[in-house]
Amino acid sequence: MTASSESRTGGTKIGIRGVSKVFQVRDSAEVFTAIEDVTLDVREGEFLTLVGPSGCGKSTLLDLVAGLAAPTSGEILLDGTRITGPGLDRGIVFQQYALFPWRTALANIEFGLEAKGVAKKERAEKARHYLDLVGLTGFDQRYPHELSGGMRQRVAIARSLAFDPDVLLMDEPFAALDAQTRESLQEELLSIWEKTGKTIIFITHGIDEAVYLGQRVAVMTSRPGRIKQVIGVEFDTREGDLRADPAFGEYRHQLWTLLRDEVAAARAQEVAGVG
Amino acid sequence: MADTLTSGPVPSRTAARPGTAAGPGVTAGRPAPDTAVTAPARGAAPSRRSRAARRLRAAGGLGKRSLAVGLLLALWEVLPRTGVVDRVFLPPVSEDLVAWYGLLRSGELLDHTQASLVRSLAGFGLAIVAAIPLGLLIGWYKPVAEFVSPVLELFRNTSPVALLPVFTLILGIGETSKVAFVFYACSWPILLNTISGVKTVDPLLIKSARSMGLSSIRLFQKVLLPAAVPTIFTGIRLAGAYSILVLLFAEMVGAKAGLGYLINAAQSSFRIYDMYAGIITISVIGLLFNQLLVHLERRFSTWRTT
Ligand SMILES: Nc1ncnc2c1ncn2[C@@H]1O[C@H](COP(=O)(O)OP(=O)(O)O)[C@@H](O)[C@H]1O
Ligand SMILES: [Mg+2]
Repeated sequence: MTASSESRTGGTKIGIRGVSKVFQVRDSAEVFTAIEDVTLDVREGEFLTLVGPSGCGKSTLLDLVAGLAAPTSGEILLDGTRITGPGLDRGIVFQQYALFPWRTALANIEFGLEAKGVAKKERAEKARHYLDLVGLTGFDQRYPHELSGGMRQRVAIARSLAFDPDVLLMDEPFAALDAQTRESLQEELLSIWEKTGKTIIFITHGIDEAVYLGQRVAVMTSRPGRIKQVIGVEFDTREGDLRADPAFGEYRHQLWTLLRDEVAAARAQEVAGVG
Repeated sequence: MADTLTSGPVPSRTAARPGTAAGPGVTAGRPAPDTAVTAPARGAAPSRRSRAARRLRAAGGLGKRSLAVGLLLALWEVLPRTGVVDRVFLPPVSEDLVAWYGLLRSGELLDHTQASLVRSLAGFGLAIVAAIPLGLLIGWYKPVAEFVSPVLELFRNTSPVALLPVFTLILGIGETSKVAFVFYACSWPILLNTISGVKTVDPLLIKSARSMGLSSIRLFQKVLLPAAVPTIFTGIRLAGAYSILVLLFAEMVGAKAGLGYLINAAQSSFRIYDMYAGIITISVIGLLFNQLLVHLERRFSTWRTT
């Protein structure tokens, strides 16, 4: 990463300490360990990407950080304080957008502001500002079904940014988009991150995406998910076509090698009918 | 679908460069036909044009529909006159309309119509007021839903008409009995639709709202209720049709006024013209009422058109 963004990353923002999550299998005494003993620190202002085979517990981990579920053991600290529930200091962006279909783009962005108790007039102003930020000026009165997938995800990002959380949790937000739209959204997300200094945890199953976006990439093992390795990603320059940079290829290969065994293990689990 | 827009990532590109506003002007200028059609939102010119087009299409549809109705009326006129059907049992429509006008002039028709409408609307209105809150409650509290669902299943599969004798037994044949009967019949579609409307809300929307720290009450008010509105309206529309259907039946079985009574009484005293006059009236009322409810339903579920 560039020197400026390096220097901006500060102390620990999110501390994940020995976290496990066990689910009760429905109608039986069996239990199911989704993630096990995950320990990971995310620094203030950092952009961390998280990769791992499907079903390894990435979304589960994100839910825990969001406060939507509680860990079975271990704890998660936000600014040194234990997370006990959801809050407006964290915003989530889902792969399926999760926009409220009965609300216009603008009203969707206002949703979190309403929850925060921002006055009506200020709400509209703020929402418009963030709509501009994600490049959707003039689309304020559109309903989600009148927008393309890429535009919907922009609205969802704007909605999460609008209530000004410190942390942005993104669960494969670009996975459902076509390649072109995905690339332009990646680029914009980086620029928004640079502008706002948010701490971002970004889940992806794309190795390229992980290398392109992350300052560090955390690799998870197959289920039960653990942190296998965390790789720091740094480029001399981000000018030009970064994906053609030989260093990019090296990171890519390194991740690919780390993931290969895990993906194979995950597939074996599936075949065995365990997963 | 909306995905056609994705293939042209124009707003993305423009927006990536600061200073270039990717406004509706830019989009409208593109030759992407989708944008103009699905844009009821901003650009005044295209939306006005599409509104006009829609009206024109609606008028065309109306023409086609009235043609079919016209054809039916023509058959109703011609078949009895040519003797294909016995005109004693099915007099030509023109003669029925003359009889209808006679009933209207005498005030008899209005009395019966009023009697029926008051009963229908009272039962229907009460059902809305009672069944929606009850449905919301049942849909919201899972344990309650699980507890009452076998009972609901039982009643949903019992025709209200089968229960009319029970109503008559307990409440007599007066107004109370009829309003209660309509109320009962109308409550089911509203109740069941409200419950399913609340229960089938996309869990991801609930998760998303919860992640923003919404309390249960706020979640209900801001997510569950608006999400359920279209389904609730479907229930209301169904109930509207029921309200007329079951009332007519009740009036035929035991009443001293109302269109059902008129139709039945006219038939048994062989006033065949009057019988058809009553039938025509009830079908027109049913049609208008349904149109009104369909219109309302559409208004409240525009966002559901995906
Ligand atoms: N609420 C739940 N109850 C039971 N099992 C769950 C629940 N949520 C997730 N799981 C299971 O936990 C595992 C990890 O899921 P998830 O975190 O969604 O994986 P990923 O996002 O990495 O693909 C999966 O096998 C999934 O079936
Ligand atoms: Mg997932």
